[in-house]
Amino acid sequence: MIGWMRSFAALLHDTWLEFIDAKSLWLVLLTIAVLFGVALTIHGEPLAAGRTYLDLAARSLSADTNDLDPAEVSLHTITTRLDGSISWIQSAEPISLVMQPADGQPQDGPKTSWRVTLVRNTLPVVGKMADTNSIATRFGRVADGELWRVHAIRETTAPLAARLGSQRWEMVVNPGRDLMILWPHRMTLFGDALELTPPQGAPLGLEVFILQKLLATGLGGTALLLVSVVITASFVPTMIRKGTLELLLARPVHRWQLILGKFIAAILFVAGMLGLLVGATWVVTGIVSGLWAPGILLAVVSLLLFYGLLLSVSIFAGTLTRSAPAAMLIAVAYWAVLFVVGILHAQVVASHVREDLTGRPRPLTVADALRGRSEPRAPLEPQKRPFHRTAAGRIVEATYRVLPHSSDLDAMVDRQLMRGFSVGGRMRQVLESGEFSWLGGVGLTVAHATAFLVAACVIFGSRDP
Amino acid sequence: MVDPVEVEAVVKRYGTAVALAGVTLRVGRGEIFGLLGQNGAGKTTLVKILLGMVAPTAGTARLLGIPVGAPSARRAVGYLPEDHRLPEYHTAASLLDCYGGLQGMPRSWRRQRAAELIEMIGLGQAHRLKVRNFSKGMKQRLGLAQALLHRPDVLFLDEPTDGVDPIGRKQIRDLLLAERARGVTIFINSHLLGEVEQLCDRVAILRKGKVVRSGSVVELTHRQHTWLVGFDRPVPESSTWASAHLDPPDRDGISRVHLADEAALDLFLAEATGRGFAIRHLQKERGTLEDLYLECATVPHGPHVASSVRCG
Repeated sequence: MIGWMRSFAALLHDTWLEFIDAKSLWLVLLTIAVLFGVALTIHGEPLAAGRTYLDLAARSLSADTNDLDPAEVSLHTITTRLDGSISWIQSAEPISLVMQPADGQPQDGPKTSWRVTLVRNTLPVVGKMADTNSIATRFGRVADGELWRVHAIRETTAPLAARLGSQRWEMVVNPGRDLMILWPHRMTLFGDALELTPPQGAPLGLEVFILQKLLATGLGGTALLLVSVVITASFVPTMIRKGTLELLLARPVHRWQLILGKFIAAILFVAGMLGLLVGATWVVTGIVSGLWAPGILLAVVSLLLFYGLLLSVSIFAGTLTRSAPAAMLIAVAYWAVLFVVGILHAQVVASHVREDLTGRPRPLTVADALRGRSEPRAPLEPQKRPFHRTAAGRIVEATYRVLPHSSDLDAMVDRQLMRGFSVGGRMRQVLESGEFSWLGGVGLTVAHATAFLVAACVIFGSRDP
Repeated sequence: MVDPVEVEAVVKRYGTAVALAGVTLRVGRGEIFGLLGQNGAGKTTLVKILLGMVAPTAGTARLLGIPVGAPSARRAVGYLPEDHRLPEYHTAASLLDCYGGLQGMPRSWRRQRAAELIEMIGLGQAHRLKVRNFSKGMKQRLGLAQALLHRPDVLFLDEPTDGVDPIGRKQIRDLLLAERARGVTIFINSHLLGEVEQLCDRVAILRKGKVVRSGSVVELTHRQHTWLVGFDRPVPESSTWASAHLDPPDRDGISRVHLADEAALDLFLAEATGRGFAIRHLQKERGTLEDLYLECATVPHGPHVASSVRCG
């Protein structure tokens, strides 16, 4: 056992030296460091939006929005949820409970509290009067997100007004847990030099989501994975080349230990680098935005699983061909195949969906209304030759079923990110009901990686040097 | 006690090509054994079989009493392959440390041995240099160091002095003789017959996968029936006595004489003295390993060819 550990430690040491010997590694790390340096110059400035979100909170008091999904619910169904009242904000004024800024006037921002006058008019016959407690608990809750939290409330309804069905409250509201995520921010790069958002700003959660995806799984992750695959693809061919292999085979170790040792060592080093990359993403976006949702850390797992798959493909190819360029090319080609099959499969899915919707009336949804559409959309025309019914579509579907689904590995992280950066309720349910399979992502990836690795060990173990 | 290296009727075929056609040999403890033969004679294949890298088609082989192929058989074995390529990203110290770890050596021992060997092979000055910047001789010496690292009981060396200058060769020879004195068994594959002759206690000559000659170096190079003789004055070439017995003399006036046995030698010497020649030099002639090697490697299936020879 001690002997095994010593051999493994020696392989780890050897692989480490080989890894840091690669100049391309330092080049990519430098590029990524520059990328993060640039990301650190991002500046987010909250826009004035307090009144908008207070209005939203007031209006949502008049309807049950707990399972609202703007992508599916139609305007008609929403009207049936109204409780026969109209609520609005009569006046609102930002206050600071903790400290006054230097100029004495509190700013309208995601951390400001407000003094609010809320008015609620009840429609005759259908409406009922509301009690103060229910207003205090429901104000600011949209779906299961918390935009505002009522700090103090006092009913100031005049006796005559009460008889006419009108109620009035004076409230002090604090920002709720989810307000920051939704608050529109204007994001700029290089200290105000480059606008990243449209003039009306974009929700901070969405901005951070995009930024994290870009840094961790987009640019940074892809560059790091590619350079890791290129560097580590030569490990096994170098190890088993004539003249070097003999020096290793004369040691009291099994051949599979050599292959597995190289594999584990490469995985550990790349895990360390991915950990740095994703950790840096988390810290950098945390610093520039103040949002510290840890979902992105799951990207280490998804990227590492994918790297492990490509590494075992390159080890298999390297054992078979004994050539570093061949191992590299085959691993990258495998990546490309997964990518292309993934894209074609998305077409198959779209074709299925289109066929399901063909001929059915499509109601005008809230989302449509928000996009300015006023007429329900016309039913879809039947497709002449649905892609999923062609031979090519069937081959794609069958191939996709057996290949690892890199899109599911991505979705694994995206789901976690969206949980951190979206307001919950029905939105979250939609998010989680989307096509995602642990088996297709993690399961098939691990299965393929294991198969390639075992095949490499068998080939290496049974061949004369 | 078992011999450290035992090979019993080992056959190796690659498809229809025969690399080893039934080789049997043994090497005893503390012996330096030289395996000679042309390229393709099967020398490297035999060593690879002993190190468990290649499986024999038939026959058995043991290292230190353990059947070859099991990793434990290689625990006390050092190997310097021919045309070895040391990983270029290492320094001498890091390479020895890694190989020591693979060999299962504890860290402190690894460190101590690496420092010792680097000094011994004269790479102490180059401790920061990576292998990719080494000269051929430096690589060869480092290769030897990795084979000696874990104080093995058996050493397999393929062309150990390849690419090393004459002084380095002398150092390596001394190193190997010191190892032998410790009781290490050394198995050398080499083309450098002079080296082998100086170093080896016993040799075997491999030809087309068969051992065609084996024995101690003294035994094999010893020539029956030939003596070297020198007289106080030149023997006239016209003399019929001289032309009947003596080859023409060399620069020093030494002539070769071919006689049936030692009784004939006595008669010859008495006759020379009788003719007035005083004897100044007399020596039994020994051949060189090279003569023997050329004879074995080129003469097709002479009378001395045996399919396998029990050595030792």
